[in-house]
Amino acid sequence: MTEPTIYQHLLDQGLSRREFLKLCGVLAGAMGLRCAAPVLASGLPAHLVNDNASAAEAVAQALESKPRLPVIWLEFQDCAGCSEALTRSQSPTLVDLVLNKISIEYHETLSAAAGFQIEENKQAIMKKYAGKYALVIEGAIPVADDGIYCTIGGRSSLDLLKEAAAGAAAIIATGNCATFGGLPKANPNPTGAKGVWEIITDKPVVNIPGCPAIPEVFTGVLAHFLVFGALPELDHLNRPKTFYAETIHDRCLRRPFYEAGKFANTFDDEGARQGWCLYKLGCKGPTTYNSCATIKWQAGLSFPVQSGHPCLGCSEPNFWDGGGFYQGQSAPVIRPALAGVGVAAIAGVVLGAGVAAANRAQKPRDAEKPVAAQQNSAAKE
Amino acid sequence: MDWNAILEFARGTFFQVALLVFVAGMVYRLARILLLGWKPNRVTAKGSRLGGVGMSFLKGAIIWPFIPWVKNTASRNPVIYIAGGIFHFGLFTVILLGTAHMLVWKSLLGFGWPTLPLPIVDWLSAIAIAAMIGLFINRLINPVLKLISGPAEWLNLLIVFLPMVTGYIMTHHLFFRYEVLFSLHMLAVDVLLIWIPLSRISHFMFYFFSKAIHGAEFGKRAVTP
Ligand code: HEM
Ligand code: SF4
Ligand code: SF4
Repeated sequence: MTEPTIYQHLLDQGLSRREFLKLCGVLAGAMGLRCAAPVLASGLPAHLVNDNASAAEAVAQALESKPRLPVIWLEFQDCAGCSEALTRSQSPTLVDLVLNKISIEYHETLSAAAGFQIEENKQAIMKKYAGKYALVIEGAIPVADDGIYCTIGGRSSLDLLKEAAAGAAAIIATGNCATFGGLPKANPNPTGAKGVWEIITDKPVVNIPGCPAIPEVFTGVLAHFLVFGALPELDHLNRPKTFYAETIHDRCLRRPFYEAGKFANTFDDEGARQGWCLYKLGCKGPTTYNSCATIKWQAGLSFPVQSGHPCLGCSEPNFWDGGGFYQGQSAPVIRPALAGVGVAAIAGVVLGAGVAAANRAQKPRDAEKPVAAQQNSAAKE
Repeated sequence: MDWNAILEFARGTFFQVALLVFVAGMVYRLARILLLGWKPNRVTAKGSRLGGVGMSFLKGAIIWPFIPWVKNTASRNPVIYIAGGIFHFGLFTVILLGTAHMLVWKSLLGFGWPTLPLPIVDWLSAIAIAAMIGLFINRLINPVLKLISGPAEWLNLLIVFLPMVTGYIMTHHLFFRYEVLFSLHMLAVDVLLIWIPLSRISHFMFYFFSKAIHGAEFGKRAVTP
């Protein structure tokens, strides 16, 4: 094989050996989560920081021997928010190195080229790296009416997805749209939007849900594939277990207030100022699996619940249709309309009256029989 | 299994259906009873019907139930009196003053109210669960109760018991993931809602009717207890 290894490629980019080893440490941390640079920067308690020296060595070995991993990134029904989150993430070393220096070959938003030029380029890459590239999908895929609701260069996203998936070594769906359909799939889902794994069923699809996906989680998964040449262990929703094993509620810093029954009732009451639990303000933390409470956002600075906003459950399937964002999680998803209750009540009356009338009609003699008289005489005794 | 999908169903469509069945069912039962009508009664009243009703409520629902020596039940079957009382008290506190439950009422009624701290609600539900187990054992060993208990009576106990235990286990994050227990809790609640109008748990409404009717009869005959 004449292809340069990742290490060679990085040296060509002007990286020193020293910087390379540092990168390996960062990558190892990203995969194992604990030692990621942003997490360290946030001042993680010492007992949570693993000694990952040996892991870094393994990463170094892999990078020294493996060729670059080409990545093709397709956007369908999306807002480019996941890409935005990645490019603006506060861990530039990690993201920059993984995405720019190591891999990205085609990305609609980030690529300088456009139009037919880049489409041709994509075809060339898919041919050249057939069976080797990683395919990243951002955005849902509309399947109604042969997928005409999202087309790129005159081809439906359904078509483009199937084409690109055929030659992919791994498929990573990033963000709630690509994983579970997200906003495009929200009721009434006019375009028939679907997540990637509902369409591509002959290959494993890694789901990295979130709105957007946490950049460090995405890079962690990509790094895992890069280093080990295999996908990380997945759960029943195809989410990497390392990052989706616990709920926000499990790791929430407001949890003691939840246990003590201390809740903020509005966004600016005393409870809110005291940092009490946001359950009453609609927090979906108890049923939401994601790493927000541990990795956090903006270089480990904070995450929604920490900054005073209830968790929306953005990494769960159908979170748009899971009841009001600011309505307590226990509240019914569908608030019964007064009309519905009225109809039910009327149905009850009509049925009751009907049965009563039928009973009376059926036993005419009962009414005439001197039951009343019997009762009266009984009462006199 | 995708428990969040089950939860969505149990909190969404199924709950909606269960609630409407509950409303329709209770109204149906009410209509049936009201349409039975009053038999013409030609006996002259010896006392005040209204007074009888008032007395009956005092005795049956407001003050006397809490004074053991006035209640026959207290001496005849103390387990029913004590465990039954504790159970009802715990149940109503939990479903009215638990935070999660208040939010349900709030979404249905449009307004909410202050709730009790979790530990208090928690202890009350633990005590209510213990009381239910007591009532179950009592029903098992009391010869008279055993005789008059058919499948419906055992089902009553079970169907009320399930939301209680699943709620309790969920709050403590025991055994299963939260959304699994939340789903089970909601499924149990949905089943309960449908079961109530079909069963004698509907006494939560008819109790007050029967108290009123008995009271009126007693009052009329001036034998107010
Ligand atoms: C629409 C109806 C209901 C909803 C949405 C609902 C929801 C909930 C939720 C979310 C919790 C957990 C609170 C937490 O984790 O802090 C809970 C707890 C509980 N629920 Fe319900 N529930 C409903 C009806 C009922 C009913 C009818 C009963 C009793 C028959 C019941 C009994 C309990 C109990 C005993 C607990 C545990 C309270 C504790 O240990 O603190 N629930 N419920
Ligand atoms: S704020 Fe949300 S995640 Fe945190 S303890 Fe309260 S309910 Fe749980
Ligand atoms: S806290 Fe909840 S809503 Fe916010 S980003 Fe994390 S998973 Fe999404």
